[in-house]
Amino acid sequence: MSSRDFVYSKFSEFYNNPSTVIPAPSSLEQREFAYLMFKERFMVRHKRFENIQAFQNVLTRNVPSDVYHSCTYYEKPDLEMDKKGWIGSDLVFDIDADHIPTSCGKIHDEWICQKCKFSGKGITPEECPVCSSDKFSVKTWPCDLCIESTRVETAKLIDMLTKDFGFATNELHVFFSGHRGYHVHVENEAVRSLDALSRKEIVDYITGLGLSVLDRDTKEKFAKSKKRGVTAKNFKLGDYGWDRRLKIGMAKLLSSATSDELKSLGLKNNNLFKNKDVILKRAIEENRWDTVSGVSMATWLKLVEQVKILESANIDTVVTTDVHRLIRMNGTLHGKTGLLKTEFAAHQLDAFDPFTQAVAFKKGTAKVLVSDAPKFRMGGATWGPYKNVKVVLPTAAAIMLILKDRAEVST
Amino acid sequence: MMDRNLSTVSASFTKSDLAKYPFLKESARYFSPIDLQIEDLISPDMHQILDRAMERVTLAITNFTVRPSNTEKHVIKDLQKEIFSFPVAIMLVAATNNSLIKKRYALAEAKQATSEMSLEPKDLLLKIAFDFGWKITLSPPDSKYEFTLYFTSFLQNASHFHAAKWKLINRKLSEGNVYLNKHDVERLLQEEIKQRIEKRLNNITLDQYPPEISEKAEELKKLAAENLGQGETDFPKIIIQEAFPPCINTLYAAASKNHHLPHMGRFALTTFLVNIGMSAESVTELFKSFSDYNERLTRYQVEHIAGERGSGTKYTCPQCSILQTHNVCKNRDDFCKRIYHPLKYYKNKTDILSQNQSETPKENSDNKNS
Repeated sequence: MSSRDFVYSKFSEFYNNPSTVIPAPSSLEQREFAYLMFKERFMVRHKRFENIQAFQNVLTRNVPSDVYHSCTYYEKPDLEMDKKGWIGSDLVFDIDADHIPTSCGKIHDEWICQKCKFSGKGITPEECPVCSSDKFSVKTWPCDLCIESTRVETAKLIDMLTKDFGFATNELHVFFSGHRGYHVHVENEAVRSLDALSRKEIVDYITGLGLSVLDRDTKEKFAKSKKRGVTAKNFKLGDYGWDRRLKIGMAKLLSSATSDELKSLGLKNNNLFKNKDVILKRAIEENRWDTVSGVSMATWLKLVEQVKILESANIDTVVTTDVHRLIRMNGTLHGKTGLLKTEFAAHQLDAFDPFTQAVAFKKGTAKVLVSDAPKFRMGGATWGPYKNVKVVLPTAAAIMLILKDRAEVST
Repeated sequence: MMDRNLSTVSASFTKSDLAKYPFLKESARYFSPIDLQIEDLISPDMHQILDRAMERVTLAITNFTVRPSNTEKHVIKDLQKEIFSFPVAIMLVAATNNSLIKKRYALAEAKQATSEMSLEPKDLLLKIAFDFGWKITLSPPDSKYEFTLYFTSFLQNASHFHAAKWKLINRKLSEGNVYLNKHDVERLLQEEIKQRIEKRLNNITLDQYPPEISEKAEELKKLAAENLGQGETDFPKIIIQEAFPPCINTLYAAASKNHHLPHMGRFALTTFLVNIGMSAESVTELFKSFSDYNERLTRYQVEHIAGERGSGTKYTCPQCSILQTHNVCKNRDDFCKRIYHPLKYYKNKTDILSQNQSETPKENSDNKNS
């Protein structure tokens, strides 16, 4: 049996198993459904279903590799794009390790130049060091550190959505994406009708784009000045929104960072470190920023810039602003891992472990020839590292290695 | 038609309020679009109203207002006429079928309303905001901010403004509410009013107007041609690459060198080129070098964007702030600081280049932005 056939048979078992429960999205009949055919590799789109059972029947028959539904509500979801009749769209966020710097440096990812076949590990370069082409095939890997980095971003996002935007936790649906990241869907009547431009403003808020703590006059005056040594007379931070976040972030950074750590962030004025107690009290607490000696407007603005980077959340900007977006369906398998997109309560973000709680294939083992795999966790145990060896692995681990192009079924 | 039984409608605005803000839903107590027959507009007892309607639009075009400056300060004498002249003015503007006049009129009405609102008490502003379905509350008297507005109502209007202070990120946002002062609310309402009037103007699609209305519409069109110009959508007939904004130059260079472009980059480049007059065919040609190039699909997408397929709408290029959000805005230059749209950059730059060309010999400014 080929590796692909093996995975297909397991996906088929999953969708045909009567105990497999796929949660129905809200207003299911107003959503477009889509799925990628496992073998044929084409996307079936513009499908509409009356209920979840009808859709589950299609999944059993067709066994797709990936399943999606629209975040959008349509009058006629099964018609072509122009004729669907847009009603509204959930506000969705996607945080994916592909788009953010992670603490592992993606050392487990492998890239191969499509043109000259030169290959390397880590972050894919802009262009091939040998032939300058910019087309690569990339073998990614969902490591714990990648997922941890996206978890940190997701936590910041959820904090903004609840505290600043005031969404109740039951309006937030938080998911492990099935690969290496998280999705947050906001289902709330008031956000449904927001247009792309309004959603863009929400994105800018979350990512910190366009933050301006000075009013226009002060900003212009400062821009025209020599900048060095200008006192922070008109520098003030309020108690709401980003002002509040900046103050919390500054306090957090200044109380924990060493002098060298601050310098590595480009904060070279040592008074930030030396006078941190005064800053915490007089500036952050009492809003008297101009009374801290040796810290000018320019330094405060630099500090703001760094804290903004630390406190903003790194989301995929295109997903949130797209009002016709398809998103992976909760409770279905991810074609790159065999893991499930899985929902959990927002407060469970720290506790949720994808490699035990998003595992679909809990029974059986398979013998595989592993070409190259780092050490990894699956189903509560740790496996690898492997290099050109035949091993017997639990089904879930074997499937992930095969889907990640790291292993073949062996006899 | 003006004697409808009003007893069932509970009044929250006075008639004098409605004369100042005739776009409010409650004005329909004094006229109903259903009752308004086109023939009524030209009946003899209506000519005063028609004259006042004509005055509204004329002033909008010439003075950016809808009320003569000699109107005794904010006192309108004939309330009924004033209220009723508004839907008639709407009809006149719609009859011009000219988008420039429509925009100008909607903005002039909105500006007029804003100048009235600045003199009103806060609770009247609140009532006007409710008319637009805003989720807004008045703050207690001792608080620093006068209003709290739910962020979705804020965004629907503020997202159209360009100044940094209107970005949500620069606002006091807490628990879903944005804290605002009265002046902010007036400015946001102005946008809301403008949008409502534009929508009304665009919803009227009549094939034919009575000759009297058409005649007046013709007069207005002439007036607009003298006062408003032709709009700013005319680009030079040839493509002038040295007038491309830096973001487009970056994308264009990447595309020419066979580099991968993210979706938003490709969309921005295509819409930009199609809008300044490049043929769908030439744009398709540009994308030919991509490894994921599929001629049939690319041609389809480009023609779709150019409005030659599907719904027939030509897509416009995303504005600067959208390109910033998606990290497509690159190498901003001084010229960028004064504009909000890549097409506007191109328009202004080509204007300057053609002026320079007619005055002095053309300098070679290639690679200026690279």
